[in-house]
Amino acid sequence: MSIVEVDRLSKEYPAFRLQEVSFALEEGRIAGFIGRNGAGKTTTIKSMLNLVHPLSGEVRYFGLPLKDNEAAIKQRIGYSTGTVNYYPKKKLKDLAAVTRSFYPNWDEAAWREYMTLFSLDENKAPAELSEGMKVKCNLAVALSHRAEVLILDEPTSGLDPFSRDELLDMFLMLKERGVAILFSTHITSDLEKCADDIIYIREGAIVRASDTESFRRELGEAGETLEETMLRLERSVRHG
Amino acid sequence: MGKLLKKEMKLSASALSYIFLAFALMTLIPGYPILMGSFFIVFGIFQSVQRCRENNDVVYSALLPVAKCDVVRAKYAFAVLIEGCGFVLMTALTLLRMTVLADSPVYRTNVMMNANFVYLGFVLLVFGVFNLVFLGGFFRTAYYFGKPFIAFLVVFFVTVGIAEALHHIPGLEAVNAFGFTEMPLQLAFLAGGAAAFVLLTTFSQAASIRHFEKIDL
Repeated sequence: MSIVEVDRLSKEYPAFRLQEVSFALEEGRIAGFIGRNGAGKTTTIKSMLNLVHPLSGEVRYFGLPLKDNEAAIKQRIGYSTGTVNYYPKKKLKDLAAVTRSFYPNWDEAAWREYMTLFSLDENKAPAELSEGMKVKCNLAVALSHRAEVLILDEPTSGLDPFSRDELLDMFLMLKERGVAILFSTHITSDLEKCADDIIYIREGAIVRASDTESFRRELGEAGETLEETMLRLERSVRHG
Repeated sequence: MGKLLKKEMKLSASALSYIFLAFALMTLIPGYPILMGSFFIVFGIFQSVQRCRENNDVVYSALLPVAKCDVVRAKYAFAVLIEGCGFVLMTALTLLRMTVLADSPVYRTNVMMNANFVYLGFVLLVFGVFNLVFLGGFFRTAYYFGKPFIAFLVVFFVTVGIAEALHHIPGLEAVNAFGFTEMPLQLAFLAGGAAAFVLLTTFSQAASIRHFEKIDL
């Protein structure tokens, strides 16, 4: 059984429509969620976290519908929707003190480890951090409560190449522990480094959701990198 | 819910929510529309809502491992907690005016509303109206609070106007009773205020939960 199932999610905005998005995440696998800006990645992820109210469809974690089991499911998943954009003047240690009280599984040692790894000073407030450091801060929180599933919206955007590399290495380490990871990105080299599966979304509809090898084999052309494949696919739509 | 309420008090609340509880002392001001004290207490809660909006607290709270509906319940619980503290203080000061200070000339010659159980009933009504109009209005968007606050101001001043005018209407002088006289009437107003507070708050919270579930954050 899949650890996360997104089943025909639909959402309508005046100028955008998410069209029956479906895919699944498996235990111990990393899925890269790719698409252009405005393709529907963030709307899908926010729907998966109940931040956006979908028109129809369902999200299930561990076989349980999110709608009826929100609090229990959120204990078992970690998520980051970009940078820390709340309480800009509060010190990180004060924010962490409140946040950790909600997680019985909070791993203080892991939190300290990530703070050191990401060179985060807990006496600083989010307003004093660069955008990249804010992403790292959100990730440290998401990783510190032994989540079984990680859902990360563009976790590598704003990170320097070294931090990005470290983060992707960390994904591989977490995968070994059986954690399922979904991360959205528009940086194809992130996918090449660690994604087992690729979910490709365009104009609110899933074009392809499969393992990386099948994706390359069926959509790529001989000698193409993943980036070249993606660019060709997007251009072919643009130019009809 | 306990953790969320603790988070509201520790992280989200403006210090003014606590400091403005001191406006309960307005209960002791002679020749003054003492219901204004209840306004300043809810104005302290308004400051916390404003602070929450500025700090993107709704999104932070919704990302915690809690049900979305509990985010709303916690905001109401915090408001009711502050209102409850304000009410306890106002009750203590009202009892002071009804006993030790009952015959004080400054209160006896007071043309404004007297501090008695009728006054406390109106205090509860004001709190209930705030929860209905302001908190309920805020949770329609979980972002805009200007219009709900102006709507509350209008209803509040009408309520104060009625409360202050009531005992000047022939036949209703007993509403301004001193000490423990006219107790059935006084207690009826207090019970009415309490019922209004419970009904308005419960209705408002249920509506806010419904609205908040549909809001895209």
